Amino acid sequence: MIRFSNVSLVYPNSTTTVLENLSIEIAEGELVLVIGPTGSGKSSLLRLINGLVPHHTGGILAGQITVDGVSTRDVKPGGLAHLIGIVGQNPLNGFVADRVEEELAFAMEAMNLPQDVMRKRVEEVLDLLSLTPLRSRLIATLSGGEQQRVAIASALVMHPKVLVLDEPTSALDPIAAEEVLSILHRLVHDLSLTIIIAEHKLERVIGFADRIVHINGDGRTIIGTPHEVMKVSSISPPIVELARVLGLDELPLTVRDMRRAVQQLRESISVVDIPVTIPNLNPVINIENLTVAYSDKNVLNSLCATIHGGEIVAIMGRNGAGKSTLLRSIAGISKIAKGSVVVHSLNPITLEGQIRREIIGFIPQEPSDLLYGQSVAQECDQADRDNQREPGTTFAVLNQLVPGINLQKHPRDLSEGQRLGLALSVVFSANPKVLILDEPTRGLDYEAKKSLTKILIEFAAIFNRAVILATHDVELVAELSTRVVFLADGDIVADGPTLEVLLSSPAFAPQVSKVMSPQPWLTVHDVVTALESGVL
Amino acid sequence: MKDSPLHPLTWWIWSFVIAVSVVRVNNPYFALGATTVVGFIVLKLREDASWGKSFNWTIKVAVWILLIRTFIGISIGVPIPGNVIFTLPRILVPAWMPGIRIGGAVTAERLTSALSEGVIICAIIVIFGAASSLTSPHRLLRVLPVYIYEFATAVVIATSVLPQLVTSVARIRQAQRLRGQKTKGFTSYRRLAIPLLEESLARSLDLASAMDARGYGTSRLRSRYRPIHWRIKDSAIVASGIFILVLS
Repeated sequence: MIRFSNVSLVYPNSTTTVLENLSIEIAEGELVLVIGPTGSGKSSLLRLINGLVPHHTGGILAGQITVDGVSTRDVKPGGLAHLIGIVGQNPLNGFVADRVEEELAFAMEAMNLPQDVMRKRVEEVLDLLSLTPLRSRLIATLSGGEQQRVAIASALVMHPKVLVLDEPTSALDPIAAEEVLSILHRLVHDLSLTIIIAEHKLERVIGFADRIVHINGDGRTIIGTPHEVMKVSSISPPIVELARVLGLDELPLTVRDMRRAVQQLRESISVVDIPVTIPNLNPVINIENLTVAYSDKNVLNSLCATIHGGEIVAIMGRNGAGKSTLLRSIAGISKIAKGSVVVHSLNPITLEGQIRREIIGFIPQEPSDLLYGQSVAQECDQADRDNQREPGTTFAVLNQLVPGINLQKHPRDLSEGQRLGLALSVVFSANPKVLILDEPTRGLDYEAKKSLTKILIEFAAIFNRAVILATHDVELVAELSTRVVFLADGDIVADGPTLEVLLSSPAFAPQVSKVMSPQPWLTVHDVVTALESGVL
Repeated sequence: MKDSPLHPLTWWIWSFVIAVSVVRVNNPYFALGATTVVGFIVLKLREDASWGKSFNWTIKVAVWILLIRTFIGISIGVPIPGNVIFTLPRILVPAWMPGIRIGGAVTAERLTSALSEGVIICAIIVIFGAASSLTSPHRLLRVLPVYIYEFATAVVIATSVLPQLVTSVARIRQAQRLRGQKTKGFTSYRRLAIPLLEESLARSLDLASAMDARGYGTSRLRSRYRPIHWRIKDSAIVASGIFILVLS
């Protein structure tokens, strides 16, 4: 279906090759997963398939790419629209119409298809992706998972032979991600659609993949079945890491296979009790009967919670459960209808300037919102001056977080992880008493997530600070947080130590705990320490 | 109104007609009246979507234009004799620029003439702002012919990215307040401009490539999933505009 022969790609004004001499043939009905560190060229590879690269971006392309016998050299991306459906990283940026139905019809209208054909196809995809109840809704009012489904539907409506998706689940909660992935699985098996996905959260997708293309970032690629690639890959989901640590010869990819592989081990150890956590008594944030409403609808219903110094609290819950609103209320940028939030015996709404910086550090969903300098150096100098630090302090912190950033680079040219690092070091330079992060791991690879985890744990422990983050990333929560607050529809439905909350919810349980259940272990590290301490 | 929307061109035609009559009448009170009516219609009918909010920004821009224009009007130009309200310090100009005066006495006549001209210009801006916040840019695009494809692409991008920027401005300001920065004054605009520009560029490119990838403009003809009809109520609205034009 898709053939890359000796493809090399270099972007203009760049000296590094994104891809070098890549040859791969993808058969009909295959699901191929593209993995690699951030900024390694996953998106470029996807966009080569329908010619958006280099037709839209410029750059030098050597070699030949054909899709169903059509070379991308000869046709513009529009000419392949009936063959290839493409769903971008942020579907909201690609929507062209206001309402779901009109969005679905857009591409068919552009192709001048007759009205009765359009009607039929729209009904088909509405059913296929269970979008019928949403058909006349404004797209802007849909949740993230629903928008993702609309984007997939509007690609499928053209009856393409190939579907290309760039990080389809990165912004979704585990349940919505599951929905989207099972739809893709069905499309491959029922319609023999060829699907190519780029994704960071390997634990979500690896079970579905037929083959993996691993991009190293220096032009080299590894291509093979998931088992082959996982043997040599630097990027791997927790299951594979656990298998490596336990020294298994075969690398299982699903929870089921892994449970079978470690059956003997599991049976040979007795179930460990859930360790008792010592309650922390250093209240930093007091939330009392917090109610927040947008246009007469309660987003948060009288929440009560106390957050202590040294705690790392993960706020979890489905898209639209009120996670961001809770964070914004704590930071003092949300109008509160009833109740109160007190941070260090201050009302966060009244904080300004220097005092605000010293009390609350906030990393928004788009870390670049905080940045306005023309270069990394300017950004660091500004932070030093704002907080009366020695010149160079912020940059030293940055160097610790993400080493090797060029001072002269524009913040926009940094990778996702580097930008988050810069925003973090700017916030850290004020040494805030409370640190709040809104979905910090969107678009971060395993490596970047690991260093983020390390930094946050140190920050909370050394300075006895409270860290609060909203996230969908179960594996991150397992590694990082000491406490989980679970929101559903504006109510706290669970609040307790990470171990208790995660183990009690199957959808939000991390892979390791699924494998080792009923043992109270969440991460590879937990298993290793338990085994070393001699439970065997 | 929600079940069968108006034709996307209706409010644009109506606004155009009203704007023409405002220019024809050339009376600030008429202009103010027209602006009030338009404002009422927008508050009543606009949808809760990104483009609906753009009206508030048009008003802000219009007020700024009014202030700047009035200031320039009273401080530079040909003096009009009459009742002196107050006197600005006068800056001397070379002898080869006779009749031009910077600063000096400000008369009531001069102030009113500057104000009334400004009000008319602003009324026109607000009237077109109303049209754009009452009509979804996406629907407007669908009635434009395809052979102006490149132009139409630019229009969609501009009209759909700009309203989104209004939300982005609020978001970025909030983030910067959280960094402990002032969000008022000139320097705050500079801090706002950079992330904003960055985001709008990225968005525009995303949208352009999405449209291209979905075959926009590949066919010279374009079919309609749901035909857009010109209904009686569309005619009624346009007729009301023309009625005002004829009266004026």
